[in-house]
Amino acid sequence: MSSLPQLYQDLKRAFDARPTDLKKCGQLLAKLKVAVIENGLFPPRPEAKESDLIVARDILEIGAFWSIRSKDVPSFDRYFAQLQTFYTDYNAILPPSPREYPLRGLNLIRLLTQNRIADFHTTLEALPIDALHENPYIKHPVNLERWLMEGSYSKVWGAREEAPAEEYKFFVDSLIGTIRNEIASCEEAAYDSIPLKDAALLLFFTSRSDLMTFAQQRGWQISLVDEKIIFSRKGEEKAEIPKQKLILANLSYARELEQIV
Amino acid sequence: MAPDVEMKVDDETKKEEKPEAPAPVPLTPAQIITANIALVERAVSTLEPRFTHRVLRGHNALRRKLDSAILAEVVRNVLSKDVSTRDSLLAYIPDSTAAAESMDVDSAKQQPASDLLPETEAYVRLLVLDFLLDKQHYAQAIELANDTVARVQQLNRRSLDALGARIWFSYGRAYELSGNFDDARPQLLAGQRTASLRRDDETQATLINLLLRNYLAYDLYTQADKLVSKTTFPESAANTQLARHLYYLGRIRAVQLDYTDAHAHLQQAIRRAPSAQTAPGFYQAVHKLSVIVELLMGDIPERNLFRHPVLARALAGYFEIVKAVRAGSLSQFQATLAAHTAQFTADKTYTLILRLRQNVIKTGIRRLSLSYSRISLRDICLKLHLDSEEDAEYIVGKAIRDGVIEGRVVHEAGWMQCDAAKSRGGYGTEVSDVFGRRIAFCLGLHNESVKAMRYPLNAHRKELATAEAAREREKELAKEIVEGEHDGDDDLGDF
Repeated sequence: MSSLPQLYQDLKRAFDARPTDLKKCGQLLAKLKVAVIENGLFPPRPEAKESDLIVARDILEIGAFWSIRSKDVPSFDRYFAQLQTFYTDYNAILPPSPREYPLRGLNLIRLLTQNRIADFHTTLEALPIDALHENPYIKHPVNLERWLMEGSYSKVWGAREEAPAEEYKFFVDSLIGTIRNEIASCEEAAYDSIPLKDAALLLFFTSRSDLMTFAQQRGWQISLVDEKIIFSRKGEEKAEIPKQKLILANLSYARELEQIV
Repeated sequence: MAPDVEMKVDDETKKEEKPEAPAPVPLTPAQIITANIALVERAVSTLEPRFTHRVLRGHNALRRKLDSAILAEVVRNVLSKDVSTRDSLLAYIPDSTAAAESMDVDSAKQQPASDLLPETEAYVRLLVLDFLLDKQHYAQAIELANDTVARVQQLNRRSLDALGARIWFSYGRAYELSGNFDDARPQLLAGQRTASLRRDDETQATLINLLLRNYLAYDLYTQADKLVSKTTFPESAANTQLARHLYYLGRIRAVQLDYTDAHAHLQQAIRRAPSAQTAPGFYQAVHKLSVIVELLMGDIPERNLFRHPVLARALAGYFEIVKAVRAGSLSQFQATLAAHTAQFTADKTYTLILRLRQNVIKTGIRRLSLSYSRISLRDICLKLHLDSEEDAEYIVGKAIRDGVIEGRVVHEAGWMQCDAAKSRGGYGTEVSDVFGRRIAFCLGLHNESVKAMRYPLNAHRKELATAEAAREREKELAKEIVEGEHDGDDDLGDF
């Protein structure tokens, strides 16, 4: 019982220090998790003291940030799932946490980079409408999603530096990867050929060698003579008559008709 | 449906209550209740749940006519043996003592059933509960609902199922109206478990819907989705519950971007729903959502939908959105969205409508691709109010990849080349698919109707008997004819 406040203070100090001692935080978090459960604060119960619940929430929040900083997305996922209870079921009892929206925003970005659009929207639905427009932490992922869906990729590219919190930058790299692939698939469909220079521009590559490796990954034909990428056209799919299906359908109609008559 | 029920109720009273007196034209609520109780009892004695269903069908009409005097009277008469229940119920009815004397004369004729069935008690409890809801005594309603639900569960009688389901519905309603809908969740989940263990389809259907409604009221789509995937909605559920369920499903799927599925569910919900005049609220809610889903799928809803008398006012804001999407004008879309934000937020369609932005752009590009054979990216940018040419290039590229338009981007020249003619592919396999689906639906409908036909028990015996008698008569007739001929002959001979 006594170890919890002590450990919590240690963690806070270690987390707030610049640069953060990630390793020490990790060790402390592992101990704290056990302490929190031993104290009956997780899963939270309404009869627990308010101050204790806030401590438990703080620990989980630090844990979530720590996971992002040490680039451990599955761990972030776990911490966030545990925090959900505090955010949704205890919001009437506890005072709102200043870290709530940054974390929710991070979670949204995570869903976006993993291309889980359906989950993204489901999560979004649970947030109040004003947050979509006013809260900077939520607005950021919402805008990103909208631009991605529209195809305004240059805006996504432009927004990568405008992250509202330090941790958001962690996701930028994977986000860039996602949009490059998106753009590439669009180019394959929309262009016959494109000059290498312009392709680099469209795909946000600064060096030519990066572009070459990327082109190779996607299996593009590069004509070095004209300095062009040539996209091979896929042949038009031939319209085939689904014989099997039609026969089956007709047989079943015949059977049903037989029954009726 | 209403006249049908009333007519039958009429018959009932005549037969069972006072055979000599002519039935008064508009029945008093008290009489209807007595008749209904008789029906409930008949349902139990003949094991025919449809009598109970008939009572419940007329329930809402009856609710409007109730007042505390009548209700107190009914409670007093019906529950005369069970003193504790009677007194506890009477305590819920405001000023129940006042009118006790005046009704006594009338009640003397209406003899309560000799021994009280639990179904009858449940029905009376339901009446009181709904009465409290109508009079907005929510705290009391919740108390009574809890008590009643516990009682129904403890009794565990299959003949109680229909009434039990209705009581659960009022239970959920009581919590919802009092604003503590989330408090009801644990109880509802427990009830759902019990109902599915007892294979109580009606209660299960009601409870699944209540839970979904509960989750959606708090925007908990993940939980709602999990509930749907973990439960099976009973097939035998009543039409109204099914329609509700389909609506909730449509809602969940729409949020998850599965528009095709959402659209199918919503269409079904519209078809299954009671007519627009009897349930205008539901009709409007489903249509609001279905308009948006249709837009998100890239279709434009039909215009005459917005002229429907029930829908015209409710859908006004949506009509504006449809117009904006049709025109492919982003500025008009944004203006409409801003003007109707409050309504869309109240309808919980706001976030869905926000997603329409990309559809507006797509429609715009599509229109351009149809009207131009070649257009510069700069002009696209100007016409669609996009921020930069670069964006326009990406957007056009994406539209081509997604199959919205047929065309190419010629990067060096900075224009979009459209070959619109190709997109008129015309008939593919999808035509036969759609046709096949329709035939399957009609055949299914036919089979369902055949299954749904009901034959009264032992009715064929009577027919057999009459057939037997007819044959007998025929034989006699034949004999008579034969004899008659003889007679005739004889007569003739005699003549």
